[in-house]
Amino acid sequence: MNTHASNATNAIEICGLVKRYPAFTLGPVDITVPRGAIYGLIGPNGAGKTTALDMVFGLGHNDAGTIRVLGLDHRADQVALKQRAAYVGPDLNFQLWGRVGKAIRFVRGFYPGWDEAYCAELMRMFQLTPNDRIATLSFGAKTKLSLLLALSRRPDILILDEPTTGLDALSKQQVFRELLKAVEEGERGVLISSHALSDLERFADHIGLIKQGKLLLEGRTDEIVDRFRFAEFFTANGTIPQSPEPAGLTILKRDDNRWQALLDQNSDAQKWLESQDVQNLTLTRLTLEDLFVALVKETETTK
Amino acid sequence: MTNPRQNFLIGPISPAAAGALYQQIVDRIKREIAEGRLAPGAALPSFRQLAESLLVSVITVKRAYEELERDGIIFRRQGLGTFVAEGGHDRSRETKLAAAKQLLRDGFREAAEAGLKSHELAELAHDILKEKK
Repeated sequence: MNTHASNATNAIEICGLVKRYPAFTLGPVDITVPRGAIYGLIGPNGAGKTTALDMVFGLGHNDAGTIRVLGLDHRADQVALKQRAAYVGPDLNFQLWGRVGKAIRFVRGFYPGWDEAYCAELMRMFQLTPNDRIATLSFGAKTKLSLLLALSRRPDILILDEPTTGLDALSKQQVFRELLKAVEEGERGVLISSHALSDLERFADHIGLIKQGKLLLEGRTDEIVDRFRFAEFFTANGTIPQSPEPAGLTILKRDDNRWQALLDQNSDAQKWLESQDVQNLTLTRLTLEDLFVALVKETETTK
Repeated sequence: MTNPRQNFLIGPISPAAAGALYQQIVDRIKREIAEGRLAPGAALPSFRQLAESLLVSVITVKRAYEELERDGIIFRRQGLGTFVAEGGHDRSRETKLAAAKQLLRDGFREAAEAGLKSHELAELAHDILKEKK
């Protein structure tokens, strides 16, 4: 395979990625992050999101599959990749540098693209000062420092693992605004894992839902959200005449003859329901958060 | 053709509100046009500007603009920007009327389900109209 790094069309391409642990297997997973896009990886705790992000940044060996970042192989071209990609994760610890100013001076030396003016702007926005002792910063402020060190590099790729945990609503909004600005020229790419689903619904161009190491659902955020409906209906005698229900219809709750279900509009579920003897069928839009809960629960409560 | 207004305030939009995010943008812009705050020829913000001000992905704004363009409410000029079309006002009004009709239908259905008879409904509509004045 001969991919030219400079004119690679996609920011990140993950193909058939597999990572095996004794008690957990991630994959095979395929994810494509186009340039200019923010890709949100969502899923319940322990689904494999962090494992996937770590692999992209070259932390750990994958057992199968390829990962290309701007056309660069994530292992063979590791140095070039790390110059162009930045990673923010929950375990980064800058306490050794003592004060914020010292951490900044240390990190910026590695990166020729460091943008000092932008760094100063982010400092003001995040209300950090060079004199702040890192050890005494709040959890949220440490996260902001971590984001500041990544963003100020103006990297081509941002890999962010739970970057808004512990941030207040305003700071969260500021971070996402900066991510929007980062991709606006259509060159860079952001891969982000987060539980801030209403934020991702707004800001992420693409969503991948990962559950027990497998990608359950992937696509454009608006199309995913639009594809499903919350269905409510009544049955005359309290049973769905013909069972089991078809694919695309997941019963969520039932109270006597009243039913609530998740309906996939890409399936024949609605046609099927209408062919059954159901009454007062209403379909309502879901938020990404509603959809997440319904889909994750669905596979958990399979009898 | 004029420059985009400094404060193009059509937000906020929210995943928690009714309708898809792009649809909310479509509806807000139509309302601006129907109510005369955006005249024919007026410039709209760029995708990026509006995405940043509404805090949504650029894809969302793009989709909203594409729909407005398809309906002949706005038009794009390569390199110049996006503008309100000549017939944009009337077409926005049509959609507003259609929306109003639907809301009235829904309202009448609710009232009928609550047991109101036709003549009571007419009275109710009359009372609401008087309230408005």
